[in-house]
Amino acid sequence: MTDTRFHAPERLDEAIGLLTADDEARPLAGGQTLVAMLNAELLRPRAIVSLHRIAALKGVERRAGGSLWIGAMTTHSALAASAELRGAHRLLAEAAARIGHEAIRNRGTIGGAVAHADPSADYPAALVALDAEIEIEGPRGKRSLPAHQFFRGFLTTALEPGELVTGVVLLPGPAKAATRFEKLARVEGDFATASVAVVLGLDAGRVTSARLTLGGCGSVPIQSIEAEQIIAGHTLSDAVLKKAGELLAAAADPIDDVRGTAAYRRAIIPGLVARAVRSALAKGAA
Amino acid sequence: MNTPAGPIGQSLPRLEAAEKASGAALYTGDMVLPGMLHGAIVQSPHAHARILGYDLSAALAVPGVRATVTGDDVDYRYMGLVVKDELAIAKGKVRYIGEPVAAVAAVDIETARRAAALIEVRYQPLPAVTAIEEAIKPEAPILHEDFAKYAKIYDAPTNRGNILAHSVATQGDPGKGFAAADVVVEATYQIAAQYHAYMEPVAALAAFDPSGKVTVWSSTQSIFRTQANLHECLGMPMTKIRCIAPRVGGGFGGKSEATVQPIAVLLARKAKAPVRVVLSRVEDMTTMRSRHPGWIRLKTGATRDGKLVARECELWFDGGAYADDSPAVMNFALFFVRGPYDIPNVHCEGYAVYTNKLRAGAFRGFGNPQMSFASECQIDELAKKLGMDPLELRRRNALPKGAKWFGGQEVKETALVEALDTIRERAGWAKPMPPASPGKKRGRGIACMAHSSAFLSTGAIIRLQNDGTIALQVGAVDIGQGSDTALAQMAASAFLLPVEQINLSTPDTDAVPYNSGTNASRVTYMVGKAVGEAAGKVRDQLLEHGAAMLAVKREEVALAEGGRVVVTGGSRRNAEVSFADIAGRSIWAVGGPITGSSGVMAQYLMDQGHTKMSGWLSFEAVGIFTFGAQVVEVEVDEVTGAVEVTRAVCVHDVGRAINPGATIGQIQGGFVQGLGYGLCEEMVWEEGRLANPSFMDYKIPSALEVPAEIECVLIEKPEPSHPFGARGVGEPPLVGAAAAIANAVADAIGKPVRQLPLTPERVLGAMLKP
Ligand SMILES: Cc1cc2nc3c(=O)[nH]c(=O)nc-3n(C[C@H](O)[C@H](O)[C@H](O)COP(=O)(O)OP(=O)(O)OC[C@H]3O[C@@H](n4cnc5c(N)ncnc54)[C@H](O)[C@@H]3O)c2cc1C
Repeated sequence: MTDTRFHAPERLDEAIGLLTADDEARPLAGGQTLVAMLNAELLRPRAIVSLHRIAALKGVERRAGGSLWIGAMTTHSALAASAELRGAHRLLAEAAARIGHEAIRNRGTIGGAVAHADPSADYPAALVALDAEIEIEGPRGKRSLPAHQFFRGFLTTALEPGELVTGVVLLPGPAKAATRFEKLARVEGDFATASVAVVLGLDAGRVTSARLTLGGCGSVPIQSIEAEQIIAGHTLSDAVLKKAGELLAAAADPIDDVRGTAAYRRAIIPGLVARAVRSALAKGAA
Repeated sequence: MNTPAGPIGQSLPRLEAAEKASGAALYTGDMVLPGMLHGAIVQSPHAHARILGYDLSAALAVPGVRATVTGDDVDYRYMGLVVKDELAIAKGKVRYIGEPVAAVAAVDIETARRAAALIEVRYQPLPAVTAIEEAIKPEAPILHEDFAKYAKIYDAPTNRGNILAHSVATQGDPGKGFAAADVVVEATYQIAAQYHAYMEPVAALAAFDPSGKVTVWSSTQSIFRTQANLHECLGMPMTKIRCIAPRVGGGFGGKSEATVQPIAVLLARKAKAPVRVVLSRVEDMTTMRSRHPGWIRLKTGATRDGKLVARECELWFDGGAYADDSPAVMNFALFFVRGPYDIPNVHCEGYAVYTNKLRAGAFRGFGNPQMSFASECQIDELAKKLGMDPLELRRRNALPKGAKWFGGQEVKETALVEALDTIRERAGWAKPMPPASPGKKRGRGIACMAHSSAFLSTGAIIRLQNDGTIALQVGAVDIGQGSDTALAQMAASAFLLPVEQINLSTPDTDAVPYNSGTNASRVTYMVGKAVGEAAGKVRDQLLEHGAAMLAVKREEVALAEGGRVVVTGGSRRNAEVSFADIAGRSIWAVGGPITGSSGVMAQYLMDQGHTKMSGWLSFEAVGIFTFGAQVVEVEVDEVTGAVEVTRAVCVHDVGRAINPGATIGQIQGGFVQGLGYGLCEEMVWEEGRLANPSFMDYKIPSALEVPAEIECVLIEKPEPSHPFGARGVGEPPLVGAAAAIANAVADAIGKPVRQLPLTPERVLGAMLKP
């Protein structure tokens, strides 16, 4: 028999209290990563603190100023189908739709995915491209961090002991935006070998701003300000796209793993970036 | 016997469909006995090491632990089909990372696992060899110092270090053949290790009765091989070993030989309680088997008008730490060195080598998929060089009926030309393909395949039951492919009964006649043949009794539907007697119980005059060839090199489809497993450690990776040597699939990719190569 204790508090402060009191307690969200790790005996927590009954972690809400709050316990499938995700925020729905399989999307949550911070996962790149804020609460109160500061490395985040991700805040994007989440995986349902998240601000058919982020190409989502700058405000010729892709490829820091070698990832980044930008534009503003 | 009517040819639902669909079916891992303990294994962290000793004290101190087992609990008794080189559990040495070195039985699995983690094994690490090239160096460390002393059923090399099998064969005069060739192509093809990926990881439950007899329920493809292996490695007489197979969740070759049965028996014996051992997926992937990786150098010569005249082949298989079926798989690959073609001059050499990795063994196709990948890709390369249509080149060289197989057996029937003509039509071979999607390149490819259906021996017992129904006892295990239903359909047809009136036995060595195994596409063919023979004997008795009971001559009665013997002519025409009444007469009055039994052996003589062979296992118990062709269309992503199969057409000669639905299921399933082999499945080792031992990291294709429809066309040219006209279909659909896909990719990108699987990276690499 296992000797792991199981808690299912209803209040957020209770959960934080339980997690703070025991440094070998683990929060449980959708369980799509945690349970797999327990099965593989990679973890043997002393206690599991389920977040399922905590109302404060649920729901999607429009906030003053046009930002969108997404509760940590929102499932991937809820986001994939959410009518609240409009304009630039569509990117998150596109990323959610590419996560794993239906069964995984029905249980997995954005809070769990963000906290796990797998560099090959789909949300981190999308959230960085959206300049999202990660909302955190812990024994010392609330704070929030921009996504690009939250993800610190392979399975590593800015979360301190006892802290939980409570939600994700999407700031209003460009008035007119085109998006694309481009993902290469060995088979459907696998993590990305490489992914590209694109948000383009559009004005009268011109690209006025660009956010481009790579997933699976380093221990954190990869950005290149230079690449974004040459895309925004320029006519998008093949040469410009190639240059942007090469800049991102140079910024990437991929590894060799069973999904592909670092060299392969570097080789395909320019093509993936060009394709992502072109398909965002082809879809047009949403 | 004439081909009877009845349920043959109908797509009846599986006999066990409802229980499997509802989850009620009992697999070994579902079984519970009173007082049953759970077993967990300890795996070697070293690729090669001497075992110096064990410290079991911490494990034994865990409350709930009932027994531990290590190499100290076994003698040096070896088991194996072809080479006896494996012990029940590692003793003296470990030879791969993951090899079981110890095991624990405890009251529950968590306790057993926790205790297993506390077992300390002291090792002296030894240098390891994890690739063929390292293993064959003169200074390479030797895996099996006692190799020369092991029992073997073939002519093994002596003093060749880690080379465990070396076979040579020559047909005709290859030198002359190549001299007559106008065009010659030569290339080396790399083949990867594929995991069997059966749904049910291996499992065994062992329980001793008070007499000292052990019953072993396990997930196995052969209760008789399980029994033989236990007998060999534990030294128990077969009278004390009873093996049973409950429902089995797939095997694909990986469960033909011993799995965890020896460990379960050792634990049960020591704990004096039933013990169930069920491996996790990671444990299964790191301790069981793979398809043989390695490489094949192939050279083929043809005349300008496209007649194949000569072939040369050098094949190297990495067998891993234990021989398992390696020599047989390697020989079987060479057996298909010509593919289904008439190549008059051939020389081939094959090697199987020990390395410090997971053993490679039998896997759907048994070496033929590897050889077919090389051969079928090379045929396309040759066609390109000749400027010939690849389908036409294949058709022109199809081995004709009556010709000799490599090795000298006669090919009594072939439908290869029909298959090619059918697929040309069905796949629209001569018509242009639909245009490629944006950013993609489109290509079409073909592969042919040949395989065998007859293998080794089997038997059947048929008994008339008191109520006139039929009890059918066979040793075949239905591992999910549907043989129970097919065998019941055959028996039902022989008696003109509905399948509900056939009672199929559970595979149990105490109760059924011998069968070598559910493998080699052989059950429908071999066991079906035994069923036909046994049924014939029971029919004779039914007719004899019936005639006597109806007071007519034997020639005046016949079986009729619904379990009756009916008078067919004369004054008593239409008078009848039921099977139940006949059964009553036989058991209460005249003659004794009605039983028919059969034993059949596959026997097809080789011909050294046709093909000179040395270092081979005998293949005289292999035969009855079957043929097919597959056409595949793909789209290749120009940016990533990713391949999508957009269309697949499979044409197979199945003799007679006993159950067409199940037959098509085998073809589609085989194609999909071949698609995985072709595109994404590859076990990868890093310094002897399997880098992807889970379905997170090792990817098999899902429904989303296969075309919406895998179009199947059955050619039904009844097999004359089979009572119901059937041939095997389990392996052929996989055999050529990877090659068909590779040829389609080559068509799309204009260059061959000679390495399996065709990952996006390898395809892109070929595309970018100047
Ligand atoms: C077969 C399979 C395929 C998958 N494919 C993909 C894919 O293609 N792309 C992709 O992005 N992901 C994929 N995933 C992962 C999936 O998205 C998970 O749902 C996700 O990573 C974790 O979310 P969860 O809600 O299931 O979290 P859990 O598994 O419950 O938790 C994950 C980790 O986060 C911690 N945690 C959970 N919630 C919080 C919180 N609010 N605050 C702080 N810590 C928390 C847990 O303690 C645990 O350490 C796949 C998973 C599986 C099983």
